[in-house]
Amino acid sequence: MAHIWPIGGGKGGSGKSFLASSLGRLLAKSGEKTLLIDLDLGAANLHTMVDVPYPDKCFSDFVSKKIPVLEDIVIGTPFPNLFLISGAHDNLDIANLPYEKKMKTLKSIAKLHYDYIVLDLGAGTAFNTLDFFLASRNGIFITTPEPTSIENVYRLIRAIYMRRIRHYFSAADFKVLENRVKQNLGEDSFNKPEHIVAVIKKDFPEKYESIKKDFNAFKFKLILNQLRKQDNVALGGQICKIIKKHLGINVDFVGNIAYDEHVHDAICQRVCFLDRYPHTRAANDLREMNRKIGYSFGEQLMLNYL
Amino acid sequence: MDQDFDQLNYYEMLDIKPDASALEIRSAYNTALQIYQSDSMVSYSFFSREERNKILALLEKAYLTLINEAQRAIYDNEINPSGNVVIEGKSVTVKKPINIFDINRQGKNSLMRKNHNTELKIKISQSQLVGEILSRQNIKGADLRAIREELGVTIETIHQETKIRLDYLNFMEEDRTEKLPAAVFLKGFVKAYLKSLCIEQADGVSAIYMNGLGR
Repeated sequence: MAHIWPIGGGKGGSGKSFLASSLGRLLAKSGEKTLLIDLDLGAANLHTMVDVPYPDKCFSDFVSKKIPVLEDIVIGTPFPNLFLISGAHDNLDIANLPYEKKMKTLKSIAKLHYDYIVLDLGAGTAFNTLDFFLASRNGIFITTPEPTSIENVYRLIRAIYMRRIRHYFSAADFKVLENRVKQNLGEDSFNKPEHIVAVIKKDFPEKYESIKKDFNAFKFKLILNQLRKQDNVALGGQICKIIKKHLGINVDFVGNIAYDEHVHDAICQRVCFLDRYPHTRAANDLREMNRKIGYSFGEQLMLNYL
Repeated sequence: MDQDFDQLNYYEMLDIKPDASALEIRSAYNTALQIYQSDSMVSYSFFSREERNKILALLEKAYLTLINEAQRAIYDNEINPSGNVVIEGKSVTVKKPINIFDINRQGKNSLMRKNHNTELKIKISQSQLVGEILSRQNIKGADLRAIREELGVTIETIHQETKIRLDYLNFMEEDRTEKLPAAVFLKGFVKAYLKSLCIEQADGVSAIYMNGLGR
């Protein structure tokens, strides 16, 4: 089964698609058969990043059953070993992908035969994004060193945490849990998964154990993008520390990617940044990062998901 | 989330070891402030205002307690009356020094060697021939060879263990006295030879051998 790397970040413009395309490019270059899937439903633009301006098939064709097999909407890119499922001509209502279609997509993704599958997810914390992110234990968070972006990444992490906890409870049980949390810790506290877990620990100890085990198996990663010279290089490490300490989730800090005007230039020219400007700081950072995350894999979840 | 922040002990709050020095405590407090202060980017939006104030108050209390030696001693006593503060899972097994050189080059087989030695000892105690030779008042090279062959040890093995030159060993067994080294060396050689065969009375026997040579 392929290694699946979902890439998520709370805020737009933090570099999710850029990272997905660069990562895909680096993996493909090292000889791995790599598939990029544009799951930024409703705001897909990954095809532009990998130089496929007019894809002839897209994700909507699969959802609308025009093309029944996910494998068939895969299109090639100008780069050897790199493939794409584009969302270029998705229907305008694709953002509201219904639950059963989402599950069908996840199951189809699990059956694809690639070495690596990189999922480019949208901003925000819609259930679709969360579920696609939880398709694998290798999720990568990306953020820029700005309060807005960090705020949103915290929200995303909490939303994912909550979504995963939700899988352990039936709707009725979850309602009970919700009420108990509100009773114990006040009306506002339900928004904080750490409070919920505290209640689970007390009231559902056996579920707490399995949730804890589950989360220990996750290998989330954090990447800090667009780090300017004056920014604090230790920021990423500190973010991971505070998440570990207060949420109890292990997030590895992978590294910083330097802010680079060349990225903007490359995107405007619609060429691959790594090919156009291979000797810039940002390109070095990307290569270094690819090397690092190549070593740490969590197991895939997809099949035991439901 | 295993524990709430306010249930951590002061050392855990500041991420320091129980034996941290004042300097380490101070720098840990500074780092923590960088993370938890209200203008910090790291914890921005992570906590509500009350939570942040609570954490900052706890950190300050932790810092002020630990930096003051008297209060720190009291606190240490409180959280762990038996003396040392031990944080679970932090115990380190001390590595003992190991020999870089293995003189016998048999480090891996040391267990085998031990067994080999006990086997030899049993053979010695059972063999009549060995007992008879050892009780003689005159022992020559040929007798040494007889013992060795009785115990089933090759001359090469002895050479390897004792590092005595193979030709000397042969001269010893063949009683070619004119070829043998000076008595000082020879005595040691014979002793080593006997020891490698696990013969306990090596000292006595080598003395008898040397007397027999008449040098």
